[in-house]
Amino acid sequence: MALRRYTASIDGTIPVPALLYDDEELLASQDGVGIYDGCVYFLSLTWCTVFMSPINSLQKAPDYQTGSVHVSTHRLFFVHSQNPTSYSFTMGLLHVIRTNYYAGLFKSSPKVSLFLDADTALPLNTTSVQRTEIFESWECEVCSHRNPPGLSPAAARICALCGVPRSASAGSTASEASSQIQSLFSSIPESSYTSLSSSSSPGPPSPPSINDDSDGMACPACTFLNHPSLRVCEICTTPLSNVDHAGSMRAKSAPSTRPISPIGDIIDPANLLIKLSFRKGGDKPFYNVLRRALRSQAWEGKRIGHNARSGTSSLAVTSPDYGVTPVAMRPSGIDGIMRNVEASAHITQTDLNDALKDLEGLMMKAKDLVHLAGELNEKLTASSTTTTTSTLASPFSTTSSPGTQLSSPFSTTTLVPSTEPEEAKFIRSSLAQLGLQMSNTPVTLDMIKDERRWVEELARELARVLQGSPDDIPGQKSVGIMKERGIVGLDEVWGGWNRARGVALIPPSTFLQVLPHLPAYTTPPIRSRVFKSGLSVLHIPPYTHASFTARMVGYLALSGVMTTSQIAHEENITIGLADEMIAAIEADGVIFRDDERSAIRGGGSGTTSEVRWSRNLFLEYIWDGQL
Amino acid sequence: MALSTHTTPSGFLLPSIHSAPPFFTEQPNQTTHAHLTEQWTRLILTYARHKRLFVLRVEDAEAPGSDWDEILRNERINRRILPSYLSSLMAAMVAKNIAVYEPAKQTRAVLLYWRLPEEWADVLHSWATATGQLNTILTFYEISDPPIPSPLSGIPIPLLRRAITILSRSNRAQIIGVADGEGVRFFVG
Repeated sequence: MALRRYTASIDGTIPVPALLYDDEELLASQDGVGIYDGCVYFLSLTWCTVFMSPINSLQKAPDYQTGSVHVSTHRLFFVHSQNPTSYSFTMGLLHVIRTNYYAGLFKSSPKVSLFLDADTALPLNTTSVQRTEIFESWECEVCSHRNPPGLSPAAARICALCGVPRSASAGSTASEASSQIQSLFSSIPESSYTSLSSSSSPGPPSPPSINDDSDGMACPACTFLNHPSLRVCEICTTPLSNVDHAGSMRAKSAPSTRPISPIGDIIDPANLLIKLSFRKGGDKPFYNVLRRALRSQAWEGKRIGHNARSGTSSLAVTSPDYGVTPVAMRPSGIDGIMRNVEASAHITQTDLNDALKDLEGLMMKAKDLVHLAGELNEKLTASSTTTTTSTLASPFSTTSSPGTQLSSPFSTTTLVPSTEPEEAKFIRSSLAQLGLQMSNTPVTLDMIKDERRWVEELARELARVLQGSPDDIPGQKSVGIMKERGIVGLDEVWGGWNRARGVALIPPSTFLQVLPHLPAYTTPPIRSRVFKSGLSVLHIPPYTHASFTARMVGYLALSGVMTTSQIAHEENITIGLADEMIAAIEADGVIFRDDERSAIRGGGSGTTSEVRWSRNLFLEYIWDGQL
Repeated sequence: MALSTHTTPSGFLLPSIHSAPPFFTEQPNQTTHAHLTEQWTRLILTYARHKRLFVLRVEDAEAPGSDWDEILRNERINRRILPSYLSSLMAAMVAKNIAVYEPAKQTRAVLLYWRLPEEWADVLHSWATATGQLNTILTFYEISDPPIPSPLSGIPIPLLRRAITILSRSNRAQIIGVADGEGVRFFVG
């Protein structure tokens, strides 16, 4: 019988959440559920045969007719409503290979069929030695991490810290199947079990009272009836014989009231089936949750990830003889950790390389695009000139201008020459919108082989950026940086120039090489100037030291005293720049300063004071005070 | 900028430059700064002679109420000299040997030589001669605080001692230990 082969009894008086492993999660609960235990043949029959044919191999399990059923990520729980102590059981979801849903008809309740895997049936003869070991805390041989009990069997097989599987010697020859049945037998660690019962939950009998029903094990020395899970006598610590222990456990798992049918021991793969009958509804949501839990295969725990790496099929987990082999193939210990780190670093490196390659490709494409736009522009210019001449010669000629291929066929068929410039203008403006302004094609080194000429070309280009090109197309906004300002910081010029170029950016060193050539290509000549503080600027003649000094003296003659900010305002330059230029004049001794910090009242508060400038009267001063 | 001289309540004629606000700011320009230091030195010494002040301290620039207010501050243009500037002026004066740090080994106070010690020695000797006190023993206090006001009234003891030392080198005076301190006897030079 499927029920007996796959389930383990639990104490239903303990709330289900307390029965869960540490890494297990309760997903759904539903009460008013009955259990059918039997074979698959029934599936094709109608509902009435369930009740009317006594010979049907699918029968209602008499002891499991009213109860609530819970599904967790790892297991299915059935808790009997009247007799939770005796008729509650749990079943691992790993046994389920297939599910079927029957929506119900007339008096028949909706049912969920669970087809069970014959290979994972629980062996009936297990030794209690293995059972207790799996639920003790254990120390990892490699990293000495003490793994706490309470994890699911799959998770408990490997060290929680380093991922090394628990050594075979520590677990003796514990096979997976046996460890699983152990987990089902006593689904919670003993420590938490006792603490739970001692915390006086209402109704449930305490562990000793369970043992009253002859399941206790008599100590060979003092005859004390010990709890079956104990290995030594509670009173005199005499080792208890474990030989008949498994038998007692089996008796507990299969309640004595249930008749032991002989077919139970014959495993017929087709007969392995459990049905859940939902008498109070709630079947659909429960079925969905159950299917999700089955799909996620949480009971395989972390093994899935590891197996994927070592190439072991995850099927091996459920095969009965998978035991140690997949575990041994997995990289383990520090070596495994190192290898994981290396692998992830390698993946990151590959990804980065790919991304950079993409970027480089994009740059190449961008260059092509710029080139193409340049050609297009040239053709447009050529076409506009040729069409005007050709239309003068023969107004109806449709060929011979290269630009017609670029413009729309409409213009070629209508043969109206005046449309041509408009088309060209449209294409030009769309090029401009794309940022492919071709009036300022960047000069690059590969265009010009001679380095000296390159620098000169750059100077010419920079002059255009600074002062705007004289042959600007009307309506096109290209105002030079220095069109309205006489003095600009070098950093701003460099940034503006490179922004205007867009591609093949100019490094600062080249920029500085270009500067000496600039006055030859600019009108008025733009020169560079370096202030004492290191600030570099480009300026036109009115901002030379001499002419600025002259202007400054003029201001001071007019108003006597001026602050730095007043001068900056007057000159329409930044205060920082004004400060630098005035400092240069002060170094000449033409002007001198009055720091407001030396005021008696007000104005003298710390650093916020302002410097006021006036003509230097001291140099020609002659003592006129008391002698 | 209309600058004009100004006469203080104590009867001192301030130079017109004292009415220029930049006069109270330490100038970064070396040439201007040197020029300004010269003007300040002259102003300080003239004023010290006018009011017979011998000691200038940095504290005098820090708060109003000192003897030097009339030149270190100018209420009419709302300017005062900053202590840091005064300190650098004092250093310049010490460097030019027209002042000396007194006491030594600090830079907060100077003894002003609006007369050099040699000049003081001459004044001292001529005073002793004029008052007929040659060959008599005088204590320092009788010189610095005489019953009849003299050119030496209020002279600081260190300066007096320096002047007497100069006189004793040319055998015109001799320092003598007396019961309550030190005395000096002047000789015909």
